[in-house]
Amino acid sequence: MPKNSKGRHVAEIIPDKCIGCQLCVGECPVAAIHMEADVAKIDPEVCIGCGRCFNVCPVDAVIFEKLKKKELTGVGQRPLPLEDYRGIAVLIEVKDGVPAQVSWELVGKARELAEKLGAPVHGFIVGANVHQIAQEAVAYGCDTVHVIDNPLLRHYSSRAYGKALVQLCEQVKPEVFLLGATPLGRDVSAVVATQLETGLTADCTGLDIDPQERLLLMTRPTFGGNIMATIVCRNHRPQMSTVRPGVMKLPQKDQSRKGEVRILDFTISESELPVVVDFIPTPEDLSAVDITKVPVLVVVGKGACDSRYLPMLEELAQILGGTIACSRPVVQLGLLPYMRQVGQTGRTVAPKIYIGVGVSGAVQHLVGMQTAEKIIAINIDPHAPLMQMADYAIVGDYLKVVPKLVEGLRSRSKGIKVKR
Amino acid sequence: MHIICCIKQVPDTAQVKIDPDTNTLIRSGVESICNPYDLTAVEAAVQLVEKHGGKVTVISMGPPQTESALRDALALGAHEAILLSHRAFAGADTLATSYTLSRAITKIARTEPVQLIICGKQAIDGDTGQTGPGIATRLGCTLFTYVSEIREVNLESGDVTVRREVEGGSEIVRGKIPALLTVELQLNTPRYASLPELVRSLREDVKVWGIDEIEALPERLGVKGSPTLVKRISAPEARKGGVTFDAEQNEKAVDDFLDKLFDKESALLAEILLKTKGTHA
Amino acid sequence: MKETFDVAIVGAGPAGISAAYILAEAGKKVVVLERGEHPGSKNVSGGVLYGHDIAQIIPDYIDRGCPVERNIIESRLWYLSKDSGFSLSYRDRVFGTDRQYNAFTVSRAKFDRWYAEQARRKGALIVPSTVVTDLLRDDNEAVAGVVTEREDGEVRAKVTLLADGINSPLAARTGFRAEPKPEQVALAVKEVIGIPTETIGERFGISEREGVTIEILGEVTGGMDGVAFIYTNHSSLSLGIGANLADFATFKLKPYELIENLKQHPMVAPLISGGKPMEYTAHWLAEGGYDAIPKLYGAGYVIAGDSAMLFNTLHREGNNLAMASGKLAAEAILEAFRVDDYSETGLRSYGDRLAESFVMKDLRKYRRLGNFLYRRKEIFNQLPELASFGAREIITVNGVSKKDKEKSILAKIRKGMSIPRIVRLIWQAWRATR
Repeated sequence: MPKNSKGRHVAEIIPDKCIGCQLCVGECPVAAIHMEADVAKIDPEVCIGCGRCFNVCPVDAVIFEKLKKKELTGVGQRPLPLEDYRGIAVLIEVKDGVPAQVSWELVGKARELAEKLGAPVHGFIVGANVHQIAQEAVAYGCDTVHVIDNPLLRHYSSRAYGKALVQLCEQVKPEVFLLGATPLGRDVSAVVATQLETGLTADCTGLDIDPQERLLLMTRPTFGGNIMATIVCRNHRPQMSTVRPGVMKLPQKDQSRKGEVRILDFTISESELPVVVDFIPTPEDLSAVDITKVPVLVVVGKGACDSRYLPMLEELAQILGGTIACSRPVVQLGLLPYMRQVGQTGRTVAPKIYIGVGVSGAVQHLVGMQTAEKIIAINIDPHAPLMQMADYAIVGDYLKVVPKLVEGLRSRSKGIKVKR
Repeated sequence: MHIICCIKQVPDTAQVKIDPDTNTLIRSGVESICNPYDLTAVEAAVQLVEKHGGKVTVISMGPPQTESALRDALALGAHEAILLSHRAFAGADTLATSYTLSRAITKIARTEPVQLIICGKQAIDGDTGQTGPGIATRLGCTLFTYVSEIREVNLESGDVTVRREVEGGSEIVRGKIPALLTVELQLNTPRYASLPELVRSLREDVKVWGIDEIEALPERLGVKGSPTLVKRISAPEARKGGVTFDAEQNEKAVDDFLDKLFDKESALLAEILLKTKGTHA
Repeated sequence: MKETFDVAIVGAGPAGISAAYILAEAGKKVVVLERGEHPGSKNVSGGVLYGHDIAQIIPDYIDRGCPVERNIIESRLWYLSKDSGFSLSYRDRVFGTDRQYNAFTVSRAKFDRWYAEQARRKGALIVPSTVVTDLLRDDNEAVAGVVTEREDGEVRAKVTLLADGINSPLAARTGFRAEPKPEQVALAVKEVIGIPTETIGERFGISEREGVTIEILGEVTGGMDGVAFIYTNHSSLSLGIGANLADFATFKLKPYELIENLKQHPMVAPLISGGKPMEYTAHWLAEGGYDAIPKLYGAGYVIAGDSAMLFNTLHREGNNLAMASGKLAAEAILEAFRVDDYSETGLRSYGDRLAESFVMKDLRKYRRLGNFLYRRKEIFNQLPELASFGAREIITVNGVSKKDKEKSILAKIRKGMSIPRIVRLIWQAWRATR
């Protein structure tokens, strides 16, 4: 590795490999990197050899060798040794005695990650009258469940739950802490991460382990889903991440699993808590449907924008336990409300199954649904962009195709019931 | 009453604009806008101050061009705008950002005490929603996220009552001032400033503060103060087409499709048809 | 609003800002009302500006940081048929030295913002995101300012300059300019394609700061009266094509189709190969020429730029006419202030100044051209074909004697267009541009 005039080992850029993304320029704490003719160049006299540019370069265009693994001081001067932190903690979110499904999905993922790390899975349960959930947490995969049960925790409050979870993190010292990206999860995760002065990555779509460095690799979409970023939290613990419901698979419950349940002391004074004056449940209203939370969407496009045949499409959606959504022109023509619009100026959806009926697939629409797991397209035009990218494309008149589909699905799913 | 609003300028690449005159797409990488949630926050602050009397200060951390987002806030009726801009602030993740903003708020509150801090619930580029809660945690004040209505601010008894959106509905909660609120879009519709207000805001100066003004520890700022960093970026896999069934040519096309579907996607279908889900129609 | 101004300008484009700059510099209280979020957001142009015209307003524009994409050192004219084409190009060293910045490409987003900032520094108040909906009239029906859609949105001013562009919703409402007929307007679309700076340099044989413009005529416009262009920016190419709006209606073609075909032409494709589409916009162009120009001034108002249909079809000149007319408008307004007369008489020097300038002289010269091109569609379909056929045959070496080749070429020409007709075409072209 090259040295500068002061004898310090410095990093160097391989110009041919550099793609000019400028990530290194932003990373460098001493502004030693500049762009020259769209290629990065490091000034060796300014470089302090910290290696941040090496870490961040997406195309390995930086020559740098970590000569000695230095212990970097933490952001808030908090004590490390990282080795003290072990295990993967998952927040088990409970509301009115019912655990949130996303918590189980994360326990399942935590088990997978824990195997790679050779570490235990910890469940964190916080609330009032919640200790009976602990057994279920063990059945889903927790090795130890830590419970803070206090009547003052009946309603969520940032301060109280934050305090409880910070306490659990400091007592248990997990190296990873996962929470569901629910309103509660997103709120309390930010409070906890700030208190612990650690890194938090929200709305991850992928989690993996780098076993060599014992690092959590957190992947999330940025810039409207056009770029996937993999983020790490090198020197701070726990590495925190929130994940949306439905992203990870729900694991199998195993009632025979054994695990430890610990009830912990927790004090909080009532004066620290806000007063919950009232709770207003959401009214059951068709137009108030959140299409981003539905696993199957039948999306009505301009080619199927006809109120006479909407019930037929709704039926198709119903059979699959889904709901109706639409593209922008359909909203503009007044057939369906804006709440149902999929696309860049509407909602971004990632259903398990997306069925586009008469949807051509303009760019603005595709951006709002291209991460759907399976795409089925029905269109009279085989060259429509959506047809080109669909996993299953059916060329034909939807008026003929959809009734056949409905009939075919009915007969095949006899015996399989849609549970509500 | 003194309210501080934290706003962020975000790239407009995520939002595609349609030019109403020619009805064509205008995509331009250079455009930046003020985060829409933050405009809602400023409007809420201005409305409160119009009712109770007082002042709204808006602050934002960013490069020099962030000034235009602050001007948007001034046009809504904010009284003072401060831009936190310094090379050392750059590259900050949410932890370092909340640190920088809370230092600035602490400084401002020393001479002009603050009762409320109102922020947008999240920024449309990062979508994390972490900065607001981070600031509240650092300042030790009451935190209410996902606020869809500010019911009452009682300066005498020192509390604020809001409506928050939670799973399954919304709750009405009351907490002590000072409080930080993060707001939902449905809270209000930012006003369209009157011409005299707009002109006034155009003539207002935007103050610029760097490290010295906010009395911050350098190692907690920007890149240095950020525990998370981007290790790798990649393009998501482009979707390639799959199988086509021609119902025009082949009468049995739909049956063939269903056969294939149930064959290849049996796991997915089983999951969907048996899954217990929440509210949807 | 209570505050009043000396001059209210509608539109922060090249015409409006040029006037604002000169008026503010002369100490007048100026407000510019722009409907876009910032100056330039509603402006579209191919992207070529002429140094001479900016220098009339800001002599040291380069030193002041005017954002230049590339300095044009070579101009090309292409005449294309479906799969072939002719190219005539002119490159001159002088455009890099003595006549540097004779013409240069700009990004409207960057340029307009820089330009407006210069006017702001001189003291003009630029108000964005504000739409002017109507003109204020006093008791004598003279224009006394403008009305905007904001609350408390009336702006009183002694003189109002209408510089709100080709679409000018204001013109329609106020009756100062008749709704342009479809034949008087062209619809153009433009795509900006990202290509690395060095690649542009290699493909055009230019260095980083040098640029090339290509004006294109022929079958690319699908037989319609239209034109296309390719301009080099620093790290992108601007590709545009447009045709007469009335033709679009008759031929039933779509602008998007035109530009896609253009991109695939054998002379165009290699230039844009590997490029990334970055931006797509559409705009109207004033094609009416001299005869479409409305009444340019009256009691309390003057009109400049595209709003006044000041656009030179043949040379694709719009920005410079806008700037020049904006400057002349400002000078006329200053004169009105000097004598404290804002009536039609007081502002009449605007008409005179325009008539004496190249603005009107050029437009008068080409007044028949628009009509000529519109009527003589052969220029856009048969002629390119015939010309290409001729060239193709001459260039192909296939053992056919030269005399026989000549015969077959002439035979084909006669079949497509009789010789007298061709002669008449040339005669009319000469007359139209005389």
